[in-house]
Amino acid sequence: MKFGIFYEISVPRPWDRETEKRVFDNCLEQVALADELGFDSVWCVEHHFLEEYSHCSAPEIFLTACAMKTKKMRVGHGIVICVPEFNHPIKIAERTATMDIISGGRLEVGTGRSATWNELGGFRANPDETKKTWDEFVRCLPKMWTQERFGYQGRSWSMPVRAIIPKPYQKPHPPMWVAVTSPGTEVDAAERGIGALGITFGSFKEQEQKVKVYHDTIKNCEPVGSFVNEKVSTVNFLFTHEDTEIGNKVGRRLLGTFNFLAAQLSAARELYPTRSYPSVGLLPALREQASGPGDEAGVPEGIAIGNPERVLHACKMWESVGVDRVNFLLNAIETVPQEQVLNSLRVFAKHVMPHFQETSTQAAAAGGGR
Amino acid sequence: MPRSGRMKVEAFAAQAAREILGYKTEPWSIKGAQVLNLHYEIDNDTIDDLLPVTMRPSIPAWAVFHVTHYPDSPVGPFTIGEVRIGSRAGVRPRGFVLRSYVNNDAAVRELAQRWGYPTVPGQVYLRIFHDRVVARVANSAGKNVLDMEMIDREPIAGTDIQYNSSMHLARNKDDGKLVLVQVDPEWVFHKAERGRPHIISLDSQAWAAGDMLKAEYPISATCCICDVTLGKIRYICDPAKDAFQGTTQVAA
Repeated sequence: MKFGIFYEISVPRPWDRETEKRVFDNCLEQVALADELGFDSVWCVEHHFLEEYSHCSAPEIFLTACAMKTKKMRVGHGIVICVPEFNHPIKIAERTATMDIISGGRLEVGTGRSATWNELGGFRANPDETKKTWDEFVRCLPKMWTQERFGYQGRSWSMPVRAIIPKPYQKPHPPMWVAVTSPGTEVDAAERGIGALGITFGSFKEQEQKVKVYHDTIKNCEPVGSFVNEKVSTVNFLFTHEDTEIGNKVGRRLLGTFNFLAAQLSAARELYPTRSYPSVGLLPALREQASGPGDEAGVPEGIAIGNPERVLHACKMWESVGVDRVNFLLNAIETVPQEQVLNSLRVFAKHVMPHFQETSTQAAAAGGGR
Repeated sequence: MPRSGRMKVEAFAAQAAREILGYKTEPWSIKGAQVLNLHYEIDNDTIDDLLPVTMRPSIPAWAVFHVTHYPDSPVGPFTIGEVRIGSRAGVRPRGFVLRSYVNNDAAVRELAQRWGYPTVPGQVYLRIFHDRVVARVANSAGKNVLDMEMIDREPIAGTDIQYNSSMHLARNKDDGKLVLVQVDPEWVFHKAERGRPHIISLDSQAWAAGDMLKAEYPISATCCICDVTLGKIRYICDPAKDAFQGTTQVAA
């Protein structure tokens, strides 16, 4: 079991230039501390036009800064949008290869397709097409990274033969993932031999079943890349404090704020009827999970909020259903003061992380590590 | 902090709100309704003024232009044309209804008294052609206030459609207070289509929106044949409070 941190980069109004800078600075300070404390990775989204909720429209820049601030942590696109109106596939291959070089081979490449009308409408992308373009992009990317020259005549894009340069530092190429939000995408991930990023489906029982399906399916996969990245990660919230009352109170505030912000956005499905979006996407799924009945402290099951014992219990539950990594959201419109976010990371590293180190060591010894 | 509505509800109510006779109405189940529903992005700078403080503007700003023909009901056939502002009550997606034009006087009365619809009499027209679906709404004097259509019809599944519940600003007859009434229709789809939305004309004033309602960017259009149940009222809200603080459950 590994632990990462996950950024939406959420900026409260009013948006004066100091506010945005302060949020980015705070995030980078958290990343530097997380690296020192032994967190495994930092991930960030690609979102556009999601007012207050996420100002992370240039993740490659933020992740490059993260790489410069850290020594060990892996840096992950969680995700890069594989829709041509947003990102040309050549640019994705070039940018990610450069990031991999700059980070010294620490890049993870999550892929996805966006789930809001804010974004799809803003870029004039056709919601019917996004699953198809994603599929085409993920088959092309490894070839663009590994072949000296690459040419392609496809459905959503084409190019004559060219040398796409530079090439990634990791050989044969960085690990690939896909954001799993719509039902069935865990099967898409498994069939293509790529990691399942951010599975967040209702109950633990349901989660366990999805993970099982993923692992069963991937045994017979046709990998899009040069290797199989058989990993399952999930997204969670993190706020912990030795004082139970503070842990619960501040943590619940984080949950409530995030849920509220996410609810103001317009899911693609809400506005554009299409079979391509059978569910409303990650955000409502995560909201639903975080809005469950909760325990006596009002914290839903499986959410890493509260004192270290409770957070440890939540992480152990995720581990028990086959999750390899939990990526934590730490804040939303700065509702948690920066000092408390940093303290929460320290408390987690001191009291929770050690309970998983043995597992990580065993996995590495068995060839499961990188 | 996130935005919220800033409508002056008393002023708006003077134009649009009707009187509701308590919250105990029985449901109406109506078979074979025809619906034309258009989503359009609207002016982001004015949406806050079109919503009570209870509600939060959708991001981006959008509205629903909705016409339904009910071939039969407890008060006979009627057709209703509405504009709803895309919004949230707390974390729930809702459409705040600016005004409802209805072409049946008994339905004008019953919809207001039972569910708080901001009804006014009008002429409402909905026709399904092979190449398009057309709807027109006019006031009682015959002046066009909304002219819209869906072109390039293509079949979809009813399960692809998501229509949100609506919120109506109404005045409770018992105590004279303004209230937001949530109406959660149930739709059972028999046939569903989508197409390109096109608003040909829109009179903002006629929807109690001053000059603030502008259809700026087309999103989607759907047309369907469905059974609709206008259910019991489950929730009401105080229009002067945020939905988290001001919501009251009135039925299970």
